[in-house]
Amino acid sequence: MPTTTIPSAGSVLSKLLRADLTTLWRNRRASLLVVLVPTVILISWKGLIPKIGAISVIANCITVGLTAIGLMGYTNMIARDRDKGIFQRLRVAPAPKWTIMTSRLAVQLMMILITTIVLFIVGYKFDGITLDARGYIAGLLISIVSGAVYLSLGQVIVGLIKNAETVNVVTRLVYFIFIMVGMFSDIGMLGNMMQKVAYWSPYGTVKHIVSAALAPATWNKDSSIALLVTLGYTAVFTVLGVKWFRWNTR
Amino acid sequence: MNNNNHTTPVLQVDSLNVYYGSFHAVHNVSFEVRPGEIFGLLGPNGAGKTSTLSAVEGLLKPQSGNITVAGYSTREKPLYARANMGVQLQSTSFQPELTITEIIQLYAGIYGVDLSKEQVATILTNIKLQDSADKKYGQLSGGQQQRVSLVIATIHDPQLVLLDEPTTGLDPQSRRQLWIRIEAMRDKGHGILLTTHSMEEAEAVCDRIAIIDHGRIIATDTPQALIDGNRDKPEVIQASRKGKITLEDVFIGLTGTEVRS
Repeated sequence: MPTTTIPSAGSVLSKLLRADLTTLWRNRRASLLVVLVPTVILISWKGLIPKIGAISVIANCITVGLTAIGLMGYTNMIARDRDKGIFQRLRVAPAPKWTIMTSRLAVQLMMILITTIVLFIVGYKFDGITLDARGYIAGLLISIVSGAVYLSLGQVIVGLIKNAETVNVVTRLVYFIFIMVGMFSDIGMLGNMMQKVAYWSPYGTVKHIVSAALAPATWNKDSSIALLVTLGYTAVFTVLGVKWFRWNTR
Repeated sequence: MNNNNHTTPVLQVDSLNVYYGSFHAVHNVSFEVRPGEIFGLLGPNGAGKTSTLSAVEGLLKPQSGNITVAGYSTREKPLYARANMGVQLQSTSFQPELTITEIIQLYAGIYGVDLSKEQVATILTNIKLQDSADKKYGQLSGGQQQRVSLVIATIHDPQLVLLDEPTTGLDPQSRRQLWIRIEAMRDKGHGILLTTHSMEEAEAVCDRIAIIDHGRIIATDTPQALIDGNRDKPEVIQASRKGKITLEDVFIGLTGTEVRS
């Protein structure tokens, strides 16, 4: 029997990453839209800065961006590739399953960093929002932690729903509900009860920890609890998303 | 067919059983594919072909049975087994945003094959796609996509090649070209396992055939031996439409005339 050599997982991962980055680049219009929505909100909310504060405005916009990346970017890409059988083709090659998903997630984490940095720049240029160096660094780190909750929620959706079109519709709906409830309850338009629900929702806890991270001096016990709740959401969604996920639509 | 059909099989399937819930889709299926052989797995829709193939490919875990590819158990050494097989699946695709060159480079990398730009160009010339090197996969015609898919399946020179209905949707010219390529692979010593609904093609190109129905293999032999061994059966004679018994008559005689969903 001739000796069989298989490439290392690292080598496979780097090839997949390169292909996924190329795919992302070729789909840059869709990616641009994901960044554009929170950017437009950030610019148009300039007038709200005196009322709810600069940190709250930019934290809201970062949260909107993270929601869009997790729910629309990642989830729809996974649903499409599964629907077309791209995953099945990769799975019959000697590529460990974890490399396939890790590559996809790594691309989304990069998108999270890009979106956060773009919002920092736009916030500074158009709204005059400045943070101290610790705020920028903590903001980037917490964006990655927070982005994970939406990526895992997307995993749940794509685990529950097989049809790519339905996934597309559901993610848009969830995205819309998150933004509307999150933003309007923040301004106090939906009443106290709704404000509490929104506060402990994945949108609210993420917005809270992003806010606290952007102004590290304001990080308090509530922020730590919000962080724990966010991590809890991520853990639960990840377990369910991985459990329910199927590599094909049959 | 090469004369080395008595050497170690490139694929050995022993007592394979696949269930979907309580539905027993594959019953104790056993067969082997030898080097330099085209082995056809034929059966009506829902007979268990795809389940058998999926188990070989590692896409589903069988409840029992053993599968070895080039001596590697798909259960114990799945990556090694997969490294020794090339697969063309009917319902799979590649990223439509990537160019053909990028797809070839991606899969060559995954299989651990180093390809220079010149080698990629040669591959594309061989499949008459040299002018489409920078075309995205999504822009290719069905026949062109099929050629790319076959190239990817054999890019690492695997001992076993699995082809799931490779000629579906192809025009006669593309189909003929594909068979020439498949026969060339056999002549180079690859073992080929294929499924097809075309009995004429199976009769013409397969060295041995297994007919599977209701999850069980009901006959395995060369096409001619299957015809000769079943030509006197009343159900085969009844299925014959042209007087001369063909593989299709044997197939219908053995599996029935009922249309499967």
